[in-house]
Amino acid sequence: MNLTIEKLTKSFGEKIALDIDHYAIHTGELIGLVGNNGAGKTTLFRIILDLLHADSGCVTIDGMVDGQPVSCDTSKSESWKAYTGAFVDAGFLIDYLTPEEYFRFLAKISGISDSVLHHRLLQFDGFMNGEVLGQKTLIRNLSMGNKQKVGIIGAMLHYPQLLLLDEPFNFLDPTSQLAMKYLLETYSKEQRATIIVSSHNLTHTLDICSRITLLEHGQIIKDYDKDYALLTSEIEAYFKGVTLENNKDV
Amino acid sequence: MTLSQIWLLYRSISQNQRLHARRHPMFEKNLVMKILSYIFIAFWAVYLIAIGVSLYQAFEGTALEAFDWVDGGMVWFLIIDFLTRFAMQETPAQNIKQYKLLNIPTGFLLHTFLLRMGLQPYNLFWTFFFIPFGLLAVPQFYGITGFVGFIIGWWLMFVLNSYWYLFWRTLINRQFFIFLIPLALYAIVAYWGIFYDEANPWLFNGTALLMRGFCQWNPISWLIVAVLIVPLYMVNHRLQKTAIYVEIAKTEVVRQVKTRNMTFLDRFGVIGEYLKLEIKSTMRNLVVRKQFLTGTLCMLMLCGLFSFTDVYDGMPFMRIFICVYCFTCLGVMTLTTILCAEGNYIDGLMVRKETVLALLKAKYYFQCLMLLVPLGFSLMPIIEEKITWMTALGCLLFASGAVFPFLFQLAVYNDSTIHLNEKLTKAGRDTKVQMMMSAAALFLPMFVMYALVECFNDQVAAISMITIGLIGTVLHPLWLRNIYKRFMKRRYQNMDGFRNSR
Repeated sequence: MNLTIEKLTKSFGEKIALDIDHYAIHTGELIGLVGNNGAGKTTLFRIILDLLHADSGCVTIDGMVDGQPVSCDTSKSESWKAYTGAFVDAGFLIDYLTPEEYFRFLAKISGISDSVLHHRLLQFDGFMNGEVLGQKTLIRNLSMGNKQKVGIIGAMLHYPQLLLLDEPFNFLDPTSQLAMKYLLETYSKEQRATIIVSSHNLTHTLDICSRITLLEHGQIIKDYDKDYALLTSEIEAYFKGVTLENNKDV
Repeated sequence: MTLSQIWLLYRSISQNQRLHARRHPMFEKNLVMKILSYIFIAFWAVYLIAIGVSLYQAFEGTALEAFDWVDGGMVWFLIIDFLTRFAMQETPAQNIKQYKLLNIPTGFLLHTFLLRMGLQPYNLFWTFFFIPFGLLAVPQFYGITGFVGFIIGWWLMFVLNSYWYLFWRTLINRQFFIFLIPLALYAIVAYWGIFYDEANPWLFNGTALLMRGFCQWNPISWLIVAVLIVPLYMVNHRLQKTAIYVEIAKTEVVRQVKTRNMTFLDRFGVIGEYLKLEIKSTMRNLVVRKQFLTGTLCMLMLCGLFSFTDVYDGMPFMRIFICVYCFTCLGVMTLTTILCAEGNYIDGLMVRKETVLALLKAKYYFQCLMLLVPLGFSLMPIIEEKITWMTALGCLLFASGAVFPFLFQLAVYNDSTIHLNEKLTKAGRDTKVQMMMSAAALFLPMFVMYALVECFNDQVAAISMITIGLIGTVLHPLWLRNIYKRFMKRRYQNMDGFRNSR
């Protein structure tokens, strides 16, 4: 799936939360969206997912689904929802269901049969690490890390061609973080899906992403292609610079 | 701590407590709610003033002085006051949590909150009654100082009652059934002190004597109240100290849940999945369950009253009222907050295609299914020939085809999340539109039916309601889609509201 952003702006009162002139993501890319708090990462996710109204501009998704070309503006049509998966925060979880019930619900509304669901859940076995299924617990009573796992699996269950995950490494223990990295890399390769991941964890993001986009005050200030050595040093230099700048103010 | 530090801390905490109430997201948002609450207070104030004046007139010229009658009946005032506090008063332990880690002695915090409890304006609410009554009854015997003593004396009794309530409320928070103890105590004291020996009702005489003491500024009366208040204050101080830790350590009891697949609903496809969601939401969320149970109980109670008694037999409007209310009350109670429960996970629904439409359809079918309960109950009055089967059918179809479409309109405008597992008082309050719509949904059908019965007869009224209801019911896919389209137009505003009120 290709995703194109054109002249996108969003303000909250006086504060400009997002101002992107042009940004294009191509099929199969694994994008890392990095930036400090308040840079506009979650706002961008919400606008892409039509959960927030942009002041101007548009987000277009296009590509091939089942051999058919598809294209739509996410704020004007709902067709993109069939091939998009996302997890932003706990506001995506129906927390009075058990994980099994939640996955079954998502499977049913996505037209996935019980046997296919069972097969797909097996692929997430390592990621779940025996802590999600069979616990006889409602989602609201799970730990934050396990809630995060339920949300991420829920987003990937219908094998979306476009996957958006906001801070997927948050709340996860080190083992699960590594499993998450493996999961994303495998999924990207096997499904040729476009994946956008926002994270504060630079190491993990740099490890798995083929492209890193740096946001600051709602603007894209850098867009790095894969060149690991250069990319790592430049991004680390950027965040060091910001830290020094902030400390100077203090 | 120096005195100025104590005063500064006391003022800061008091200020925070005031802001806590004033800045509740729903209270800030809802101007009408604010105005209504002021009107409510003003109404009760005027009502109490009127009762004060008329009670004086009623007792004037009797064997006892008017104030003796009122003072002697103190236990009744205290019982009513005790019961009303359940809706008004929180325990300090619930509020102290956020200050616990600050560098403020816990003892001081408790004294601050307990003192504030004694000085809270609610303890003065009864003065709307006692000032006009006292002004008419007391000064002619004890002068203006006697009147002042009378008012202060009664205020102290309500302060005492607030600490008495706090003691029991804290225990009730630990074990619900403890509420029976104070109720039993009040009942025993009232019976034993007033009715047991009617020739010499010691409680009546004792409280009248105590209050006469206040009017005369007799130190014994003040001493008696002090002897009661101070130990009760100290007991509460001790009790709250342990209650803080209970409150901090409070965790939701996690019960094992059996995964329920409800496969019998699978045949209905996606709608069936949302029906499962609706059923599970009702079973597993405290707020939704309470709404549902209250609605169902109201429905059953009214159906029972109508079916098995002749209370409303000679009252045509009440007959219509109950008949319509049986069929609509559950819908009114649950649909006024339509989509508010889903506000908790609206983002998850909105990234999937037409999920809200399927959800609305499931909600409609669920409500229609629930109409079978009042229909079953209405068989009794039908057999007893209190109403015709056409009237019952008219009410049922009018509910599904007119009242529900009307209430479902709120799906377009509701934008406040209700907290699914909180106590109902903390879950979220009705907004202006919700209140207006629920009132209209309850009363409009009654007036329509009543007008039709009065202008024509029962049969014409029933046929008209069946016709209107049938049209609305058959056309449900159309109006539900229309609601969905309008919801989608307002989606950003609604989602924003849901997120902000989570």
